[in-house]
Amino acid sequence: MHNEDRVDSYKYISGMTRRESLKWLGLLAAGSAVSLSAGCSKALEETISDKGHWPDLDLQPITAKGYGTDPNMVMPPQSPWPLTLTQAQLNLVAVLADHIVPSEGNNPSATEVNVPSVIDEWVSSPYNGQQKDRVTILHGLAWIDDEAVLRYKAPFVALKKEQQTAILNDIAYFDNETPPQFQRIGNAFLRFKNLVLGAYFCTPQGCKDIGYLGNVPIAGDYPGPTDEARAHLDSILAELGLTEYAYQDSVAS
Amino acid sequence: MSTFDHKVLVVGSGAGGAMAAYTLTKLGHKVLLLEAGRDYDPKKESPMFRRNNEAPLMGAGNKDKNFGFYDATIDGGWQVPDEPYTNAKGTDFYWWRARMLGGRTNHWGRYSLRFSEHDFKGKSQDGNGADWPFSYDDIAPWYDITEELVGICGTNTGLDDMPPSAPGVLQPPPTPRIPELLIAASAKKLGIAAVPMHRAVLTRPRDDRMACFYATPCGHGCSIGAAFQTTTSLLPMAKATGNLEIITDAMVKSVAVNDDGKVTGVTYIDKQTVTEKTLTADIVILAASACESARILLNSKHAKHPKGLANSSGQVGRNLMDSTGAWLGAQIPALKGRPRYNEDGHTGNHLFIPWWGHKAHAKGELDFPRGYHFEISSGFNQPGSGVSGDKRGYGIALKQQVRDAYGSYVGFALRGEMLPNDDTYMEIDESVKDKWGIPVSKFHFKWSDRELKQIEHGLKTAKQILENMGATIGELPTAEKAISKGGEIIHEVGTTRMGSSAKDSVTNQWGQTWDCDNLFVMDAGVFPSNPHKNCTLTIMTLAMRNSTWIAKQIEQGAL
Repeated sequence: MHNEDRVDSYKYISGMTRRESLKWLGLLAAGSAVSLSAGCSKALEETISDKGHWPDLDLQPITAKGYGTDPNMVMPPQSPWPLTLTQAQLNLVAVLADHIVPSEGNNPSATEVNVPSVIDEWVSSPYNGQQKDRVTILHGLAWIDDEAVLRYKAPFVALKKEQQTAILNDIAYFDNETPPQFQRIGNAFLRFKNLVLGAYFCTPQGCKDIGYLGNVPIAGDYPGPTDEARAHLDSILAELGLTEYAYQDSVAS
Repeated sequence: MSTFDHKVLVVGSGAGGAMAAYTLTKLGHKVLLLEAGRDYDPKKESPMFRRNNEAPLMGAGNKDKNFGFYDATIDGGWQVPDEPYTNAKGTDFYWWRARMLGGRTNHWGRYSLRFSEHDFKGKSQDGNGADWPFSYDDIAPWYDITEELVGICGTNTGLDDMPPSAPGVLQPPPTPRIPELLIAASAKKLGIAAVPMHRAVLTRPRDDRMACFYATPCGHGCSIGAAFQTTTSLLPMAKATGNLEIITDAMVKSVAVNDDGKVTGVTYIDKQTVTEKTLTADIVILAASACESARILLNSKHAKHPKGLANSSGQVGRNLMDSTGAWLGAQIPALKGRPRYNEDGHTGNHLFIPWWGHKAHAKGELDFPRGYHFEISSGFNQPGSGVSGDKRGYGIALKQQVRDAYGSYVGFALRGEMLPNDDTYMEIDESVKDKWGIPVSKFHFKWSDRELKQIEHGLKTAKQILENMGATIGELPTAEKAISKGGEIIHEVGTTRMGSSAKDSVTNQWGQTWDCDNLFVMDAGVFPSNPHKNCTLTIMTLAMRNSTWIAKQIEQGAL
């Protein structure tokens, strides 16, 4: 057995099919007692305290140019700037993204609609907001691997699914009650989660999942709410005691 | 150009400039129009039906594209490359510009509300600011012609803040959406009406323009011409007369004047070759936007006009106003998980809340002058980089939270009237020049207590409407915190105001400068006040009325 090869050979590839994606996740769940050369990030051992650990990454600023003030909007640029995530980071993003958005019925998982590539484009972008996210997310990713090594002696992608969820359960419910050692990562993971959700739901498949039915041309007048939607409104108005104030169209339709 | 013998030179191709060009060319006069930005064709360049996932960064905005990747604005935004402006100490003013044919009409909100009698005679009513040099009745027929030409959907509501259009002028508005209907009921409980918005969106075809097909945001530009922009309407129509020529990438630096106070033409920078050029004209119309036209005048110094051209009153650059802005929104629990349907509509407000306080003012019940309206944000919008909901956990349970929250948030965007004040104006910063060697604008901006009290009133009202719908609203922010920054609402007006006297205004009621009778201003700079109702419809209406007056003067030999 060459578990290390198996881990190394898990590779997030943009455009991965559903079957391939499932295969990789299955492999990852199976890959448990993996020995790894990748250790904890710099100075991890010394920084653990009751406030937890936090990686100390030396990130070089992104110096690429933006797409400018007059990009082609009809054919948007496909690679507006060089991508910067390493394959290992991409793999971790992919595994995390599929925990956040797994496949569900006919709805694809995050990796099936290339969410990791969107995250890569986002954190590689030269704009201020994205540069800030880059710092948050790259530190968050490093923390997750550090935590995985501290708890289970292997990086996150190589952990069993229940080990992965044990870590996620500590960091994915960030609020004021979150224990101090998970505050910082909780906040960072929330930002990451937001981007993954955004990247998933803005795809055609994600739009279908959330129920966005627009962006289609309509011949004639705008039809407005369906009967079902109007009935629902009537029930809300009644519930809120607003029925007598219901909007009356002043123009005969 | 040598064969084209223009009578009138227009600076700017947005709402004012394009309407001036349209009106004059239709009346048979040759017009040369200069635009500081590049040529732009919405038929070819509008990103129709594009999804956010096809754009870099899921379409999110940044310093290159402030309102998102697909926003129609080209080479513009809060900052324009190579064209800075400065702020006085303590001022945080934002100046939006668009360097493209059609200017800001390519991306504007298309909200098109008439000013009412109260708006033109505000000073007579409450002593603040300045009256307009004409009354509502003078301009009403011009609103009718403009609305019919532009194509405005909406209804005559009969409300005192919304004077009626002539029968048959307005096109039918789209039917309201569920959250708008809920808000309408909630507001009505407070005695406040929500009614169809008036928007420059065709719901019936007109000339070469198609009716709206209720998809793809108007702010991206509209290739079918349904959402009004001058590049699909006034400019091609004016061109079709054979009386219009346009020079793009022509950044006007100054207006030339002779010793008799007659304007002789303009000097501009050809941005392509970075060379200075001069053009002569019998009549010059500035419609470069309120602050850009004022900048041109202030930069047009002459021995006889040491303070800048048309500035004997000292009012050029003064009386700068924006609209007030504030926002309050919340999740409406009852809207969670509501039945799905297509809520794109014409992509703007189908219903809004016009100002309801004229009677309260008459009774002296309000502690601030003038009024505001609420625009409504709500709906099943196309998902983008931001996702709403609690977002706790991960996996299928998390996704369900997002689906439940989708379309359950509503918000109120307050847009209110600002009054002029002595601390708010623009001037020239002689120490800074743009890439073209033109001294830049410098802004001074302050809200007064009048605006802050208005914001306070608006926030309290919005809170009540939200609470009537079951929302939980915490403590409201202070008005100082909630109010927008100067310029942020992109309704700058007043810097070359019109009036009844050369002493305290820059132009007469025709936009004709008191100092030079062949120099006119036809952008929002001429507004003596800034009613809360969005300036564009009135910019166009005034430009049509005043260009028609110019044509008459030409025919009579006066110009």
